[in-house]
Amino acid sequence: MADATPLLDVRDLTVTFDTDDGAVQAVDRVSYTIDRGTALGIVGESGSGKSVSSLTVMGLTRFAGNARISGQVLFEGRDLLTAGDDELRALRGGEIAMIFQDPMSSLHPFYSIGNQLIEAVRVHRDVSKSQARDRAVEMLGLVGIPDPRKRIDDYPHEFSGGMRQRVMIAMGLINDPKLLIADEPTTALDVTVPAQILELLERLQREFNTAIVLITHDLGVVAEVTDEIAVMYAGRIVERGGKDAIFAAPQHPYTWGLLQSIPRLDLPRGDALTPIPGRPPSLIHRPAGCSFHPRCAFARDVCVAAVPELDDAGQQSGHAAACTLPRPARDQIWAALRDGATPQAALAATTVPVPGTLLESAPAAAAEAAS
Amino acid sequence: MSFRSQRFALVACLLAALSFAVAACGSSNNDKPSGSGSGSAVPKGKNGGTVTALASGDVDYMDPGATYYTFGYQVAYSVQRSLYYYNPATGQKQIPDIAAGDPQVSSDSKTITVKLQPGIKFSPPVNREVTSADIKYAFERSFSANVPNGYATSYFSSIEGAPKAPTKGPQDISGIQTPDKSTIVFKLTKPIARAVAAALVMPITMPVPKEYAAKFDAKNPSTYNTHVVFTGPYMVQNDSAGNLTGWKPGKSIKAIRNPNWDAKTDFRPAYLDSWDIQEGNNDAAVASRRILQGQNLVQGDGAPPAQVLKQALSRYKSQLAFSSAGGTRYIALNTTIKPFDNINLRKAILAGFDRSALRLTRGGKIVGPIAWGYLPPSFPGHTESGGLKAPAQFDYLQSDTGDAALAASYMKKAGYPSGKYTGSEKLLTIATNADPGKKTAESAQSQFEKLGFKLNFRVVPQDTLYTKFCSVPAAKAAICPNVGFFKDYYDAQTLLEPTFSGKAINPSNNSNWPQLNDPKVNDLIAKANTIAPGPERDKAWAQVNLAVTALAPAIPFVWDQQPIVWSKNVQMVVDDYANSPFMAFVSVK
Amino acid sequence: MLTFIVRRVLWMFVLLIVISFITFIIFTTLPSADPVLLRAGRRASPELIASLTKTLGLDKPWYEQYWIYLRNLLFHFDFGYSYQNNISVRAQIFDRIPATAGLALGGMVIWLMAGIPIGIVAAVKRGTWMDKAAMGLALVAISAPVYWLGLVMLYLFSKDIGVIPIFEGQGSYPTSGSLFTNPIGVGKSLLLPWIVLAASFAAIYARFLRANLTEVLTEDYVRTARAKGVRERTVIFRHGVRAAITPLVTILGLDLGILLGGAILTETVFNIPGIGRLAFDSIQKSDLPTVEGTVIIAAFFIIFLNLIVDIIYAFLDPRVRY
Repeated sequence: MADATPLLDVRDLTVTFDTDDGAVQAVDRVSYTIDRGTALGIVGESGSGKSVSSLTVMGLTRFAGNARISGQVLFEGRDLLTAGDDELRALRGGEIAMIFQDPMSSLHPFYSIGNQLIEAVRVHRDVSKSQARDRAVEMLGLVGIPDPRKRIDDYPHEFSGGMRQRVMIAMGLINDPKLLIADEPTTALDVTVPAQILELLERLQREFNTAIVLITHDLGVVAEVTDEIAVMYAGRIVERGGKDAIFAAPQHPYTWGLLQSIPRLDLPRGDALTPIPGRPPSLIHRPAGCSFHPRCAFARDVCVAAVPELDDAGQQSGHAAACTLPRPARDQIWAALRDGATPQAALAATTVPVPGTLLESAPAAAAEAAS
Repeated sequence: MSFRSQRFALVACLLAALSFAVAACGSSNNDKPSGSGSGSAVPKGKNGGTVTALASGDVDYMDPGATYYTFGYQVAYSVQRSLYYYNPATGQKQIPDIAAGDPQVSSDSKTITVKLQPGIKFSPPVNREVTSADIKYAFERSFSANVPNGYATSYFSSIEGAPKAPTKGPQDISGIQTPDKSTIVFKLTKPIARAVAAALVMPITMPVPKEYAAKFDAKNPSTYNTHVVFTGPYMVQNDSAGNLTGWKPGKSIKAIRNPNWDAKTDFRPAYLDSWDIQEGNNDAAVASRRILQGQNLVQGDGAPPAQVLKQALSRYKSQLAFSSAGGTRYIALNTTIKPFDNINLRKAILAGFDRSALRLTRGGKIVGPIAWGYLPPSFPGHTESGGLKAPAQFDYLQSDTGDAALAASYMKKAGYPSGKYTGSEKLLTIATNADPGKKTAESAQSQFEKLGFKLNFRVVPQDTLYTKFCSVPAAKAAICPNVGFFKDYYDAQTLLEPTFSGKAINPSNNSNWPQLNDPKVNDLIAKANTIAPGPERDKAWAQVNLAVTALAPAIPFVWDQQPIVWSKNVQMVVDDYANSPFMAFVSVK
Repeated sequence: MLTFIVRRVLWMFVLLIVISFITFIIFTTLPSADPVLLRAGRRASPELIASLTKTLGLDKPWYEQYWIYLRNLLFHFDFGYSYQNNISVRAQIFDRIPATAGLALGGMVIWLMAGIPIGIVAAVKRGTWMDKAAMGLALVAISAPVYWLGLVMLYLFSKDIGVIPIFEGQGSYPTSGSLFTNPIGVGKSLLLPWIVLAASFAAIYARFLRANLTEVLTEDYVRTARAKGVRERTVIFRHGVRAAITPLVTILGLDLGILLGGAILTETVFNIPGIGRLAFDSIQKSDLPTVEGTVIIAAFFIIFLNLIVDIIYAFLDPRVRY
């Protein structure tokens, strides 16, 4: 991993939108790296900044006109934030491709899919229309569209949701990109379809050796595809690490909440899923200190005092969390929570001293807000 | 004028008023018009050139048997010739046109004989000489249902054998005889030959060639309207079949020289090589400015609005003339409806009314003098009635701005001791919906209310005002504030008989709006009708005028004058009869 | 598609009949001037009035009058004859169509050429001074009534009464020929009317397109196009404008339909002998046959252009099928 320059190295990326209501800090000092052929999952609720960070990588937030961007986005060593529009455009759809959540609205309704695929090819390659068309047919076949030679002239509305997302994937991969950013690729799809799409992504990643950034609110989705996971909350990465490490020993109370809200086959059926109380915070008036503290059952005065930095807390290199709980305490609490204990009980059972005094208001208020 | 102040013959002035929402007609009396007409010397013009008249609407008919609107007349009298007409140089004196001399009236006043000039020919495609039969036919067709003529029965019903009702196709009229090609004789059932002869200026006397027109006249309505042939110095452009290619209804009329016209037979100099009329110039302000600032343009129908007129008076004085419209505007009081059946009450109203304020709603001094009776300045009978100032016996018409004390005293005489009207009924008042008439009506409304009357004030379009209310006695309108009547020709009968004779009251189409039916007035009218044109006749009609005024059936408030404008390089001659530029006299400088 | 068209054409006939009926009813029931009296003149005898009433067919009950009218219209395509001057209404209308068509089509070209680029620039550069200036001007153009703007333009720019005499003014429309047979003469005369007519339409179209394009540019498929690396110019035109302009076709069809039925104000201000002025004049004269004719022809243009728009739409938007 650390042997050569990473494919994508995002450093201290900060994105702020100036709106009429105030400055929205959508992304706050986010850093992560992806190596060639690997997959990173970025997980978080909507509004956590996960989409904005990847749109910024693509240079697409530039079009918003009101975005202030700082930090670095190094793609193969080149800083994309300072790259010219044309340079970025050449990368987009070529070396870096992106697919989006809603395949219906993401395809232009007035053009046939063939037309749109061919355009994608010819933007980046100096090939004839028929060559581009052949490539499009090939890609449609690869993503599992039956009878692609016939269907290539159909319009988006003539395809089902899953098929459209396959078309989007075909469009993303048509120029053999080094990096594919998939933003909630399965969210808008019917129940059985996501699994097929994820399977397809995984297969294609292997075949094309494409690095993938998979953005999702669903830890279950990243579990299928990615090697590494970054958990985002309110514009910040609160935990990151290898997939196995995060599933085995999650370090951040927010991650615990996410994990507890996944239906699990290894638990008795009667056990209710535990939702995370409260709502994501406003990005204009963020809570002081750890943004998660109003919803955190373990929030103490120290959480309000300062923004906790990511620590190098994992057993494996790179597994880090931004939490004021000492690492041993987190392990104990998670173990207790996993066994069904209430947060209070889990906290009480810790043998490790926990700094600060528990905030009385936070969990109660959060619980109330959640009801 | 009766229906349609906008479109009737010789009421062009109203058109200005109604269509352009600004007062228009007339000027103060000391503004001597610079254009010719009214008997003043007519300047000689230069031959050649062309002039365009800017009009808002179209002629009503090209057919001389049917036309009855000012604008139709303006065209007709330059492209057609009638038995008699008026020369701008000699004013209101009727002069022979097709006729070879004055009409010969028999001693019993029941026969009129007119000799025709030789050498007057129809335009192509007819090309033959006009004969007396062509005039006889012109009358006959105008009495048929196929050629709706608005005045034939009013002025010519005394001709022997003249049909009472429109005939099915042109029928022979025994009382019109043609002993030879150049003689036409009118036999009358009543001894009123002089009066009938006075009407021989009307377009009904313009000849129509039977052998050519019969096929068009066989249709109902006749299609001769678009196939007219001409006898005047000009003709509307046509093709070999007689189709009027130069008339594009609602768009334009193109008049060229009539190749068959012989200048020696005509008093019209016809200086211009051609002239045309451009229609649809609905914005009078723009049209007037175009005329004043442009070249080779004259006014068609319509009139300059007040603001342009004021400018014209100071900057373009040599391009502006006023032509007396020959009529009176008044507020009619329905004498058959309580309380207006009370003569003292009517006098109280006249005494109390500010007629100057009424005139102001139309533009003030500029539109003409304040009226007191029904024969306007320079009209036969006007001087005989007393001139511009109301005679002393009409104390209730002495003040232009109203005399409250006098009004109160008449009101007391009428049986209202408080000096104000105290009845509580709501009097139906029908007002026009367009300015300036609407403003006049509103001024009247407030003045009536000041005198104690309560009005049921209804506002309708001008045409509806006449055809559904004021001219329909059954509609029982008590007050008609927007009526007026204008001449058909220079004879007081045309102003006084239709408007104040008890016999003129019709169930529809009534123009005796006050529904005055006074035996004395009726007798005076009958007597005046028998007198030959001349000072005696004018005096007799002046008596009618005074008798009517003494009954106070209406509030007369203005004797309109029609302003006419033209371009700097145009030598204008106004036809006072049609209140418009006389195209056969106009020339280019 | 064919069934659709046939159905719509049949429907059009039904609508036109209904419209002619409504016009007729309005005319016969509302108090308006009596056409017979208007035509007969002030001194007309009762006999003449009766005779004219018969000639015009007004002595028959209204339903019979309407039936005769409808029968002539349907079986002979005969619109009757003007109450005022006996001239064939059909001939009048056909005579007037070229002027109205020339005015409407020329105006359309101008307002599209002005409105579309302004709308695009304003949307792409929204918030900038260019956008603000364009939209400010548009607001002025929309608020200015045609008769006012027309008069102002005449007083400013017409050759005869203008301060800066550069354009042909009122009444310069040639007495013969149309835009198609006499393009230079008519074109010169129509230049000012075109500008006046186009001003408010250009403004409306610019604002409409700006709003549409602004919205379209936030669409996911525009983001997709950018993500593909498509050039921004191509993104705006091929992906943005293409989608944003489609609804404009509907409005254009309606506007053109309305204008072909007569641009009454513009035609009146500039004295252009078109359908609008014919309608205006005939309403003033209570000339029912001409009013009916102009109403039917106006309605026909509106309905017909709607049909055309719907057909075109099927080609513009693949999602639409009949």
